[in-house]
Amino acid sequence: MKYLGFILANLGRNKLRSALTGGAIMLAVVLVCLLLTMPAGLNAILDHAASNTRISVHNKAGIVYAMPYAFTRKVRQVDGVAAAVSSTWFGGAFEEAGRVTFPNFAVEVEHIGAVYPDYPIAAEQLADFQRYRDGAIVGRQTMRKYGWRIGQRVTLRSTVWPVTLDFRIVGEIANDRAPHFWFNREYLDQALKAMGRPGLTIAGMIWVRAADPNRVNAIMREIDDMSRNSEAETACETEKSFLSNFFGSLQGFVTIILIVTALVALCIVFIAANTASMGVRERAGEIAVLKAIGFGRRVIFGTLLAEAAALSVVAGGTGVLVTIGLTKLLQTFATWNDTLGPLGSFIVTVPVLVDGIFLSVFVGMLAGVVPSYGAARKPVVESLHEVF
Amino acid sequence: MPLPLSYSLRNLRARPARSVMTAGVIALVVIACSLFLGLISSLKRTVVSCGDPRNLVVMRKGSDNDGSSQLSLEAFQALRFFDGIARDAEDQPLASPELVVQPFFRTRGGGRENVLVRGVEPVALLVHDSVRISAGRMFTPSAHEAVVGRGVRGRYAGAELGNELEFGRGRWKVVGIFDAGGSSFESEVWVDVRELANDAKRVFPYSGLRLRVASPAELEPLMRRIDDDPRYALDAQRETDYYAKQSESANTLYILVIGIAVLAGIGAGFGASNTMYAAVQARTAEIGTLRALGFSRTTILSAFEIEAIALSAVGFLIGAAASIGLSILIGYAMGGVAFGAATFTTNVVTLRVGVSDLLGALLLSIVIGIGGGFGPAWRAARMRPIEALRKA
Repeated sequence: MKYLGFILANLGRNKLRSALTGGAIMLAVVLVCLLLTMPAGLNAILDHAASNTRISVHNKAGIVYAMPYAFTRKVRQVDGVAAAVSSTWFGGAFEEAGRVTFPNFAVEVEHIGAVYPDYPIAAEQLADFQRYRDGAIVGRQTMRKYGWRIGQRVTLRSTVWPVTLDFRIVGEIANDRAPHFWFNREYLDQALKAMGRPGLTIAGMIWVRAADPNRVNAIMREIDDMSRNSEAETACETEKSFLSNFFGSLQGFVTIILIVTALVALCIVFIAANTASMGVRERAGEIAVLKAIGFGRRVIFGTLLAEAAALSVVAGGTGVLVTIGLTKLLQTFATWNDTLGPLGSFIVTVPVLVDGIFLSVFVGMLAGVVPSYGAARKPVVESLHEVF
Repeated sequence: MPLPLSYSLRNLRARPARSVMTAGVIALVVIACSLFLGLISSLKRTVVSCGDPRNLVVMRKGSDNDGSSQLSLEAFQALRFFDGIARDAEDQPLASPELVVQPFFRTRGGGRENVLVRGVEPVALLVHDSVRISAGRMFTPSAHEAVVGRGVRGRYAGAELGNELEFGRGRWKVVGIFDAGGSSFESEVWVDVRELANDAKRVFPYSGLRLRVASPAELEPLMRRIDDDPRYALDAQRETDYYAKQSESANTLYILVIGIAVLAGIGAGFGASNTMYAAVQARTAEIGTLRALGFSRTTILSAFEIEAIALSAVGFLIGAAASIGLSILIGYAMGGVAFGAATFTTNVVTLRVGVSDLLGALLLSIVIGIGGGFGPAWRAARMRPIEALRKA
């Protein structure tokens, strides 16, 4: 601790250089944090949103191969099923000329709450969802994106069904990452019947919540056995496994992001190492004098290393603060990008910020090691010779 | 009188370690920037190059892609005899009815992806003439056979010539591999349209129709005839427009990459400034001497700017070479980069860092050089000769 003043004084000696180095490290930390935010968002969805007691029931052939709606009722009767809800893709586009910008599904209003008890939805909003035929419950991500409020009416034009429906937003899933838009399947069913079509006779997907986590595998087996040799054989899997499969095709993109992140991190090492070596070279004479008057190698090495580390920590900390500010800004206009899926939402998590700080400390030290070690090892006489 | 170019260049060699490190930082930024740009432009090119300016896409009004559109048999029968559609040697209209389904495929790694399966008739190869069977043969209708795109081959279990591919409700024998000039058709599997409709139990036999127009002059009138026909509520658009719209989401990614490039560029500029400031400081006496000899401020300024630009040029060259190498390496290691979870189908994109991506990176490194070098060069130019000489 007694060397702290010495270290800080050395940092302040060439303020411009320290500022430039600090600035470069800070920007690199911001970049690393922003880049890591994307895969981290994916992990957060898999770790938190996905439950092990929720089961996805879908057609074995793929999610675009539907199941008969009546199968939902059979699933509900399976022993150990606490609740089951069918969910059918509506493919609704919000603006007339626009494309599908958030996932929207027709669900059964009386069952949705029981299947997703872990979702933060107010009880009275779920009650309203059952009361109003045209009600919709919308995830906070989508609410924010369009500046919607509860009570507002919105119109979605389906790209799958030949209908355009008017909805009243009655509730919100109070989770920043939730993009869902749920509405009453009966509303769509009646709209289709009014056009002379047979109505909504299919279920795209059935979500099941098991009462007992230990019964999950047995339930999945029973449901799959029930559908065997029917028109629509099913394949059950846990929500976690379903989502990781669903996002699996993004792995390649994530790899590229990680490669670029590693490159940027390497940049920090270079920049910091460059500065550290400049400082050491300029101070060669001074270091020799310090040694000549009795300061040990360890002290010399330690103070030089601490100097590099201190600069990185300050820069890294600033970088983390800037990242928080920047993601807040980005959230307002960059959310759901259909090519990136969940990677498109910038919600910075604490682990990412911790990564950023650790990275800056680690690379700061790494960058300082070689020049500091060299300076500490160099014989006094040699250094003094060079200088004088 | 200007200072010789070799003055600036030789100075870079005076402290090689420092120059190499700074050039290294610029190189890393160039790699990061051109890899990202390359990835996005590859994605865009893959999708956009599916479109043929001579073709029209016909879909149900309100659909925004093949996957959500429906077309009845009657509509197809009526539409294929519309005026303005090109005809083949046997006078058959070049109208390709197509059904698009996205079933699960098992990847070789044990994962699962949605793959675009396109049900077609043999005429499809005439309408999409960029698609060529490069190995094996076209499928025989009603024989449960399939041809797979080059990007699909090897990625999924059974996606090899002669093997059986399992998707939908059955098994399909792979009898051919096709090539489509790098477009995203290569991420598709093509089978007989009737068999696919049967397998997917579709009420409507087709999702849409692709038409080859007889001549460019016929294009607009044909589009209007289809749009205005009250019987079917269909919508015709240029195939190039359709795929341009499908690739729109790649455009928002450009904003992301530009943001990343700007941040990284400023950081690298700081690093370059640092090196140049040190160079100016170390050469205080030299600059003083040059000024005393009569070299003007502008001369000194430009000499240091040239030094900074040379530094970033070296960085760019290293970075450009490395990013091309890295993209090839990634291609070998991962095969292709898969995109598109939310669009329901997997698009396997071959990462290629092209000239335009490198131009973007070049622009960035020039800005880094000029911007990062300006402060130090300015300081050098403003030095008073007497003071500079005295300091030494």
